[in-house]
Amino acid sequence: MKKIKNSLLKKYIVIILVGIVWLPVCFIISSLLFFNVPSLFQLEKEPEFGYTNGSDLEQQWHTEARQLSGASQADIEKRLRELQQAYRGAGVMWVDAAGKKQLQLHISHNYPESWTAAEAIQFMKNTYSADPFTTVAFIGQDPNQGFMVLQVPRDILKEIKAPYWYNYGFVSVLTTLIFVTGFLAVSFIFFYRIRKRMLRLQQAMNRHGDSGIPAPIKVSNQDEIGHLEYAFNEMIDKLQSSRKREQEEEALRRQLVASLSHDLRTPLTTIQGHAYRLGKERLSEQGEASLKLIDAKVAYLGRLIENLFSYTLLSSGKYPFNPARHDIVRLVRGAAANWYPVFEQEGFDFELELAEEPIYARIDPQWMERVLDNLFQNVINHAASGQYIAVTMSAVEQGFELSIADRGPGVESESAGKGAGLGLSIVALMLKDMELEWALESTAEGTRAKIAQRFLNEI
Amino acid sequence: MRRILYIEDDLDNGSWVKEDLESRGFEVKWLQSGEGATQYVSNADLVILDIMLPGLDGFTIGRRLKKEAPQTPILMLSARTSVDDKLLGLQFADDYLTKPFHPDELAARIEVLLRRYGLTRQITKNHLSIELPDYRITDTRTGEEIVLTGKQYQIMVYFLKNPNRILTKEQIYESVWGEPFFDGDKTLMVHIRYLREKIEVDPSAPVIIETIRGIGYRVKQ
Repeated sequence: MKKIKNSLLKKYIVIILVGIVWLPVCFIISSLLFFNVPSLFQLEKEPEFGYTNGSDLEQQWHTEARQLSGASQADIEKRLRELQQAYRGAGVMWVDAAGKKQLQLHISHNYPESWTAAEAIQFMKNTYSADPFTTVAFIGQDPNQGFMVLQVPRDILKEIKAPYWYNYGFVSVLTTLIFVTGFLAVSFIFFYRIRKRMLRLQQAMNRHGDSGIPAPIKVSNQDEIGHLEYAFNEMIDKLQSSRKREQEEEALRRQLVASLSHDLRTPLTTIQGHAYRLGKERLSEQGEASLKLIDAKVAYLGRLIENLFSYTLLSSGKYPFNPARHDIVRLVRGAAANWYPVFEQEGFDFELELAEEPIYARIDPQWMERVLDNLFQNVINHAASGQYIAVTMSAVEQGFELSIADRGPGVESESAGKGAGLGLSIVALMLKDMELEWALESTAEGTRAKIAQRFLNEI
Repeated sequence: MRRILYIEDDLDNGSWVKEDLESRGFEVKWLQSGEGATQYVSNADLVILDIMLPGLDGFTIGRRLKKEAPQTPILMLSARTSVDDKLLGLQFADDYLTKPFHPDELAARIEVLLRRYGLTRQITKNHLSIELPDYRITDTRTGEEIVLTGKQYQIMVYFLKNPNRILTKEQIYESVWGEPFFDGDKTLMVHIRYLREKIEVDPSAPVIIETIRGIGYRVKQ
């Protein structure tokens, strides 16, 4: 029951019921007004002789009759003649106590001079509800003093009545209109408010805070929408707590990877240091080879740990990203300068063909450096047998194309350094975030990494 | 003898790095925490600093040492590799090397830092002998001083402060001329050519300032 009490359904039913009942009620109210506040309906024109309808006339006639109680015949005749003049279009007849017709004024019908009871009854019958309107009153309210008749054509009566009815149609339409408009207004407000609250809810759902979760909203009413708002808030609450838990887990995972990365590096450093020291001893050829391998593996492990760490940061969106407008040619040249000695040491043939003019793009230089580092490292790891690297970069319409090509056996085939997956995943993730195209074409003759921008995202 | 203050809590690494540096002719003071570091820094020519340390971390210690002795270069040597850590470290430190590292690389970086801070007395490169801190160049074959013009001198100093690094045209130009590189290509080439004419034995086959095609130049040490 409590549910129904505050429900929109209840409100709606009430409004509809009121609406259905309203129309007849409107008629009743307008009729009541019509009868009780006649001034509302009357025209300025005063009704003739102060009567407005048949019953008024009848009443007045009876009053006249009462006043004529006991009057002399001459007086009665005089008064009746006056009255005949007073009521427009009226006809008057007077029959005395003896049943003798004393006066017939302006009545065309030929009534008998002397009246019997039967003729009186016949007269009453004929004139009842007939035209002209007829009213009969006993003089002095006494049947023994005779009776007087007043006849007024119904046309005149109607004419007198008309002012009453003249405004009735207008007023009733107006009243009905007001009430119908009221009903419509109430319905409109009802639905408008529902709509407004729905919109508010929708906006609240679309409005995202820093965390990407909508903020809770104030529950305004205890009805269906109120329950919806309440459920919405509860959902937000759950989302927030699960987001918080997720963030905590994420932070824990990152912390774990960070300390793991650190804790793995420390002993690796020791291994490398001692391998270096061993290298200073006199060693057999095999010993030298082992030492070289240890050195290479330590370096490889270091990179692997670094990539794992970076990938964890990157995939959780915690790798600092500060894109800005930078000359990418200069950046590539800088990276080539850093890597040249490494390739030189490995005996690579290093070819560099960069655009002469600067090419600006919106990138994070740290990220771009990281991408190039990983790609260069990839060449060292996988294409050392090719002894060749070519870095070419050129401006194309609305962007640039950068390619790093080697003559290695291709990434599909097994080669000395594995674990390229993580490094290339980082490359792919970073380039995607910087909105750069990325492709790796690999054949048995070599591999070509391509980075391109087809539209300039300058600032 | 050049003195190094080395702060590292890991015993295994601390001992071999100390030994290695000593074998390279450095005098090493090794501390296992930042405690008391400030009193040694004034006597040191360079500080090698780890980050994860018992008590105060390397960042805090590094800042204090830099405040205490701004003229002593600090090299961060850490197993922490994130960009954030590096950026934080390089706010006060002069270099940041991550573990694991090759001892030769550490030594090379120490050398660069000492040179940058003018803590090296003399550099010998082929037939050239260069006196620091004012980078006076002498031809050892004749014993005569090679006099460079302002820009030639600045370029040479920049090379000597960054040994073994390939310096791009942009880097050299912007460092020496102090303005953004837009079309300084020709200017730089002309200056390098005159510089080579003065210092190279055979300017048409330069051995001191190498050209790395498409990238830039390098002076090896």
